[in-house]
Amino acid sequence: MKTLYFDYDMQIRYAEPVGRCHFTIRCVPPRTSRQCPEEFRIEIEPAVHSEQGEDSFGNRLLFGRVDEPHRLFSLHAEGRVSAGMAEYEEAEREERTGMYRYPYRLTVPGDKLKAYFRQIETKCGRDARQRGIVLMNRLYQDFSYEKNVTGVGTSAEEAFGGGRGVCQDYAHIMIALCRMAGIPARYVTGMLVGEGSSHAWVEVLSVGKWYGLDPTNNLIVGEEHIKIGTGRDASDCPINRGLLFGGGEQVQIVSVKVRQEKET
Amino acid sequence: MYDLELLENTDVVNELLARYGVKFGIYKNNVFKEQLFPFDAIPRIIEKREFDELEKGLKQRVLALNLFLKDIYDGKKIVKDKVIPEDFIFASGGYMAECEGVKPPRGIYSHISGIDLVQGKDGSWYVLEDNLRVPSGASYPMIARELCRRSSPKTFQHVKMEDNRNYAKLLRRTMDYVNVEGHTVILTPGRYNAAYFEHSYLAEKTGAHLVNGSELVVEDDKLYYINYNGSRERVGAVYRRISDEFLDPMNFNPESLIGIPHIYDVFRKGNVALLNAPGNGVADDKGIYYFVPKMVKYYLGEEPILHNAPTYLPFYEEDMRYVLEHFDSLVLKDVAEAGGYGVVFGSGMSRKEKEDFIELLKREPRRFIAQEVIDFQDIDIVEKGGVVPRKADLRAFVLMADEPLVWKSGLTRFSRNPDSFIVNSSQGGGFKDTWVLYQ
Repeated sequence: MKTLYFDYDMQIRYAEPVGRCHFTIRCVPPRTSRQCPEEFRIEIEPAVHSEQGEDSFGNRLLFGRVDEPHRLFSLHAEGRVSAGMAEYEEAEREERTGMYRYPYRLTVPGDKLKAYFRQIETKCGRDARQRGIVLMNRLYQDFSYEKNVTGVGTSAEEAFGGGRGVCQDYAHIMIALCRMAGIPARYVTGMLVGEGSSHAWVEVLSVGKWYGLDPTNNLIVGEEHIKIGTGRDASDCPINRGLLFGGGEQVQIVSVKVRQEKET
Repeated sequence: MYDLELLENTDVVNELLARYGVKFGIYKNNVFKEQLFPFDAIPRIIEKREFDELEKGLKQRVLALNLFLKDIYDGKKIVKDKVIPEDFIFASGGYMAECEGVKPPRGIYSHISGIDLVQGKDGSWYVLEDNLRVPSGASYPMIARELCRRSSPKTFQHVKMEDNRNYAKLLRRTMDYVNVEGHTVILTPGRYNAAYFEHSYLAEKTGAHLVNGSELVVEDDKLYYINYNGSRERVGAVYRRISDEFLDPMNFNPESLIGIPHIYDVFRKGNVALLNAPGNGVADDKGIYYFVPKMVKYYLGEEPILHNAPTYLPFYEEDMRYVLEHFDSLVLKDVAEAGGYGVVFGSGMSRKEKEDFIELLKREPRRFIAQEVIDFQDIDIVEKGGVVPRKADLRAFVLMADEPLVWKSGLTRFSRNPDSFIVNSSQGGGFKDTWVLYQ
């Protein structure tokens, strides 16, 4: 187990003033058997009142509306999390986990992914976790990390066809492969020690427990990952979802720091 | 039973209907076209005894469907007990994971249900389809009755039929029952929507505000109606006439301009009722239809009163064998399609079409259901001054308030084409009033 300090900062600057915006933020690390948030603070600018809620995937929500014209929307969250308290997360409400066994939106496999799956399909491993690790190993070898070749709306099939992408693409492809193998798999957003921006990985359900697998780094998720959100794919759990009236062009800058020691 | 003046006034009634904007919108070759919904004055008449039986069956069916929806989004006992394979839930296009664990006010999901029935030549009724999302059509027999009463008063003086103008009262009672606190509104996509007549008519008759998305706003975690003078008044129930997908751009389709940002967050907290609740599509697709009689037994412990058309699920091997052996006598339906689309008759295919279809069926067995072709009872319509028989169905409306309420009327639709079994208004048919006799 490790104590991790995190600092998440997102700024969106608009070329023209935004007259009104609605936002839903999913950035509160959940308390699970694996991790425990000890401290959490959040600041949103422009300062507005926001409501709290929870969605069907278990994500904590902050939502609200900004009515005054603004050219900057920013979100700053920081806190302390005990991470890696266990190797897995207990599956709650198991009757719902079927939603993670079927293709959904960005993870629907096409011909290329289906062919790839047939090629790497494995009978090795005594449970879903081990088979998931085998799939992760193969994917890590056959897909390369490269920024700016894919976008937030790129599907697993498109990303795989291009052969390159970022953590979101690794996660989507891995989810598609797991689901083809009959393994329930879900998308996770979060933060990782040493990463400068937010991260994404996969959890697979094996014998009633969710195990984290990070295909971008070919890592079993341990005590350096902080989980934030969960969903069937990335579209279920964006850290920030906004609806804007006005604004013109926008530039978004996200900066994340996760450390083991608190800076003084 | 009815006086000749009723038929003689058909043209007048149709002219008035056109003036009121009683229309239907259809997509044909990707082009949106609005067309009039022609009224035929010969009524469908249902005897009291017959309707009493239907009423019992409809109440039972809609109760079971509501219990099913509640179970699916909170527990899934029916799946755990292996009555329904989970494929038919999670792979259904109508299943919405976003509804898991969300509790609609008073636990009602399908407040307004449109159950489509046909009557076989032997007189027995069969359910063809359940419509639990935004079923439309109640306003058509309402206004037709209203206009016919005016143009042909004599008929309505002596025929002992149930007055169907109480639909507005039933609907009001249904909306009030789930209203959390505040106004009741009917949410329309606007006057360019094909069913706009119905939205405005029902608002007028129930006394609910007719609003579009821009007149509703979420403040804190409640929903408000912005009055003409700018003041805000709490809304406790929304009879929404827009589909789930377009309801809330912050939770569903982000491109929606007709929805209300965060309305679903308010619903999730139990601070507003949405009629019907989001997520109902999981209970009314053609695949789940097969299981409705099983739901009646499972949730109510009763024998189903209403029958489905005999249906086979190629998903089950045994049914697949039957379908392949009896292909020519069956009708096949794509579970993802609605409105009479994706329906093919085995007998109507060329050899090549048949081969291709069977290949598709074997590849995607869950995508199709197969049904025996029911020999419908024909119903008379007036055409070119004479009377000709046509296929017709009946959409019965069942409202769920503190108890299920069956409207003693319904929308009878008929096919224009003498060879067609498809009566959906999107395929160019017309409608009739439905008279339920009270003695």
